[in-house]
Amino acid sequence: MRLPVPRDTSFTSPLRDERLTARLGVWLGTCFGLCFLTGLVSHWYYLPDPWFVPPTRPVWGYRLTQGVHVLSGIAAIPLLLVKLWSVYPRLFAGLPRGGVRALLLTGLERLSIAVLVAASVFQLVVGLANSAQWYPWAFSFRATHYAGAWIAIGALVLHVAVKLPVIRRAFGSPVDTDLPERTGPGRRTVLGAALLAAGVAVLANAGGTVPLLRRVSVLAVRTGEGPQGVPVNKSAVAAGVEESARDAGYRLTVTGPDGEVSLTREELADLEQHTSELPIACVEGWSAGATWSGVRLGELLDRVGAPPDAEVRVVSLQRSGAFRSTVLPPAFARDDLTLLALRLHGEDLDLDHGYPCRLIAPNRPGVMQTKWVSRVEVV
Amino acid sequence: MARTAPGGERVAQAVVGVVGVAAAAYGGLLLLDLDGPDLLDALLWLAGGVVLHDAVVAPLTVLATLALRRVLPSRTWTAVTVGLVVLLTVTATAVPVLGRFGARPDNPTLLDRDYTGGWLVLAGLVVAGTLAWSLRPRGRVRGTGGTTGPASRRSSPPSR
Repeated sequence: MRLPVPRDTSFTSPLRDERLTARLGVWLGTCFGLCFLTGLVSHWYYLPDPWFVPPTRPVWGYRLTQGVHVLSGIAAIPLLLVKLWSVYPRLFAGLPRGGVRALLLTGLERLSIAVLVAASVFQLVVGLANSAQWYPWAFSFRATHYAGAWIAIGALVLHVAVKLPVIRRAFGSPVDTDLPERTGPGRRTVLGAALLAAGVAVLANAGGTVPLLRRVSVLAVRTGEGPQGVPVNKSAVAAGVEESARDAGYRLTVTGPDGEVSLTREELADLEQHTSELPIACVEGWSAGATWSGVRLGELLDRVGAPPDAEVRVVSLQRSGAFRSTVLPPAFARDDLTLLALRLHGEDLDLDHGYPCRLIAPNRPGVMQTKWVSRVEVV
Repeated sequence: MARTAPGGERVAQAVVGVVGVAAAAYGGLLLLDLDGPDLLDALLWLAGGVVLHDAVVAPLTVLATLALRRVLPSRTWTAVTVGLVVLLTVTATAVPVLGRFGARPDNPTLLDRDYTGGWLVLAGLVVAGTLAWSLRPRGRVRGTGGTTGPASRRSSPPSR
């Protein structure tokens, strides 16, 4: 059997029309914009030489921006699929007549569309997989997702520039006016379906960060439950610290200009204890509010004569891994809410939450809230 | 299109276009920072997404639409379209959790739901909604082929 090669005119549905495409595009573009900006915020936390030092307030800032990042990305998936459906026939459009110039312009536009579609699908697919900690590829997720973000947003902005006259025309007339009395859905219905799908996808996933939706979010990567009511990203087993964290010889070492202090966990527990209500918010989009108590980091730093403007490195018992240590900017190190926490929700920290003690600071990504802390040093 | 646009709009297009090209080029440079094997893998994934959509997902959608329109009575088309858009695209967002690909024995807090059960509930709700909408009594628009969703009720006569 020979299949005929389709042309753009082979697709006869009047639903695939620029008026629908443009309206889908505005919603999709809004999601991409939110996703890009919140992704930038997250990326800035990871810079080795930050020109941007994040604020310590609001304490739930990262919880909000990363929740928006993951949920706007999820909302974009139905919108992108329906938008690609609406323009699919154009893939088969013939080349223009009118000489080299027209051919070149069309070729460049098609190239930019190919880049836009490739980068958009890529970003959503790898982002979604990352939120479920699934890595079926070889490349570094963070570096590649960041590069892809600039490609996608750049190609999107170029696409908007090229299509500006079409977009104006599309919004100039109501979406369904020219549809004949016909059976089946109109364009407005398809647009509504895409938005409904985006909304359902968000509701089905948001429970990982919005506790009220826990029971509704049947597809959320996490229920939000875990030891002491808080989920775990990296377990003690995965970090290889099961023995060293329980070792009776454990000491927390704090070093600064005035020398070194070494403390057992009992000695830490005998120091003045403080309580902070701080969320733990993960780059994968889940978050949970929690009550932590322990020693103020600033008070430990005073004991070793650390100047108030010192950056502080917090090092884990973990032997390897990108986040075995993190550097705290001075505003975070000296914040009254920043603790080396010994307890969570009134109980000794679970081993998976960082026993014997962990860092918890306001408005920071979860991976930077170092667990199983063994050293604190002035940088 | 640009040739027929008014002058102001053409300037706006040029400025916005240059910003877009610059941002995309910056992303391209960042991508080239990857090591050789990583870069190759990333390019394969970038191309793979387009091929998967254009050569598999979209043609299957076209064929499925044609088949469904033959099988289903036309008065159900609107409801079925909405139901399928919701069910299929939301299911696409659920692939990683339905497959439990990231599950780890040492971390029971990850992928800690019955995702198949949850998806079945979701699918059941969508199917029930679609059925209810398809079968709802209608009286206003008889004589137009026994049909219609809200859109066609609103629509005006053909203009071309």
